[in-house]
Amino acid sequence: MTDKINDPVAMWQKMVGEMEQGFNSFANKAMASPEFSQAMNRAGGVAAGAQKQLGELMEKYLVTMNLPSREQVTGLAERLQSIEGQIGEIKSMLSQMAASSGVAQGIDTTPRPPRTKRPPSEGGEQK
Amino acid sequence: MNASAGTLDFASIPERIQSEVQRAIQRSIKGVEYFSTSGPTLGSTPKDVLHSRGTMSLYHYRPQSDELYRIPVLIVMATTNRGYILDLVPGQSFIEFLLKRGYDVYMLDWSAPRPEEKSLRMEDYVLDFIPDCVRRVQQDSGETDVSVIGYCFGGVLSLLYGSIFHDGPMKNLICFTTPIDFREMKLFSNFSDRRYFDVDRLVDSVGNVPPEMILSSFEMLRPASRTASQIQLWENIWNDEFVKSYRMFDRWATDTLPLAGEYFRTITKDLMWDNKLFNDTMSVGGRAAKLENIKVPILHAVAEHDHIVPYDAAKHLITKIGSTDKEEVMLKGGHVSLVAGANAIKRLWPKLDSWLGKRST
Repeated sequence: MTDKINDPVAMWQKMVGEMEQGFNSFANKAMASPEFSQAMNRAGGVAAGAQKQLGELMEKYLVTMNLPSREQVTGLAERLQSIEGQIGEIKSMLSQMAASSGVAQGIDTTPRPPRTKRPPSEGGEQK
Repeated sequence: MNASAGTLDFASIPERIQSEVQRAIQRSIKGVEYFSTSGPTLGSTPKDVLHSRGTMSLYHYRPQSDELYRIPVLIVMATTNRGYILDLVPGQSFIEFLLKRGYDVYMLDWSAPRPEEKSLRMEDYVLDFIPDCVRRVQQDSGETDVSVIGYCFGGVLSLLYGSIFHDGPMKNLICFTTPIDFREMKLFSNFSDRRYFDVDRLVDSVGNVPPEMILSSFEMLRPASRTASQIQLWENIWNDEFVKSYRMFDRWATDTLPLAGEYFRTITKDLMWDNKLFNDTMSVGGRAAKLENIKVPILHAVAEHDHIVPYDAAKHLITKIGSTDKEEVMLKGGHVSLVAGANAIKRLWPKLDSWLGKRST
């Protein structure tokens, strides 16, 4: 049987593991500096700003093309969501009514097991 | 160097070469298979959607034992990730484990907030979604008491809920890897340094915070780990069990959710910047959320090698909570392996069962 110290595969795996740890540790130290935060957030801010400008430009373009703007679509989505919410409430009420009258509903109607379970005694078997 | 360790065993070389050649062939075959298949189906434990509203879904899992504990369990998932980490595949599903042990299990899970949900605030999560789900669990189970399990930021939401509704129906609280001292999340704290991070500009620009940004911030905590894990995958691609496990965890880890803009703004300002939960100055919708208000039995499970929520960020929870019946347990593993996978099956799940079973009658 080959010893781990002479096993090239084991050595490779060890090396990858050590490199991973070393790089993570080095990067974590670098990322803990305020300079890193400043640089990262500056880059992120530029990207977010560009995204906002692009969004505004797109909105103007859509208006020109006589297409609904994002705001209008969002407004419609909000109304849809409110309708969905109301349907959900109605479904829930119907389920409760069906359950109380014993009528089968969309969800599982199998009778639930009794809520009588006790924890196993110390060192004993699970009931 | 040890003489025996340093001696090369020449007799084994042909055997090793043969084994490596076989593995190389297997890697090529399995490599093709890897890219042409979709991986195991996750989150398949039978369940019913009890309620769904925008980003929020409440599931009820169908019981798998002849007898149930009296008190149902509501799991509150972290808002950044999907709940199927707790329901991977049969045999490796925390949900299935609970069901087989006789718990009646519900889960509050999240889907990606829609663009119009960018205005969801912390109040919506703590004062509306969770109480709404608790009420529905009470109605569905017919029980007034409910045990709550919160994972990661789901734990933070559960703590906020419990500290505001301290006279409410929450009977037991279990938190997994839950941070309360956000100053101690050193890298996240530095990424969101108030001198450089303009959260208002970000939220006003993008609405919901994109999942790519959330994922990158998680990956930046261990920047070399993704490459190293891909190397590990290639080495072990001949091993079906390894590949199955890799795919499950990789799929979940990259399936990050966006965060509602206003909610993210509050997390950044109140928790990351002002550390209000730790400083006892947190309020949600004008209602004080002090940890000392929580008096129910609590178990806090933390991971020894958690790089996302370091122990220093989580360790004060037990001391600050108002309960007398409280326990912290530190287990081997990382942020995810604490709750899912072989490590969790062996360590956390049995511990949780023995703690919760006694308090569920």
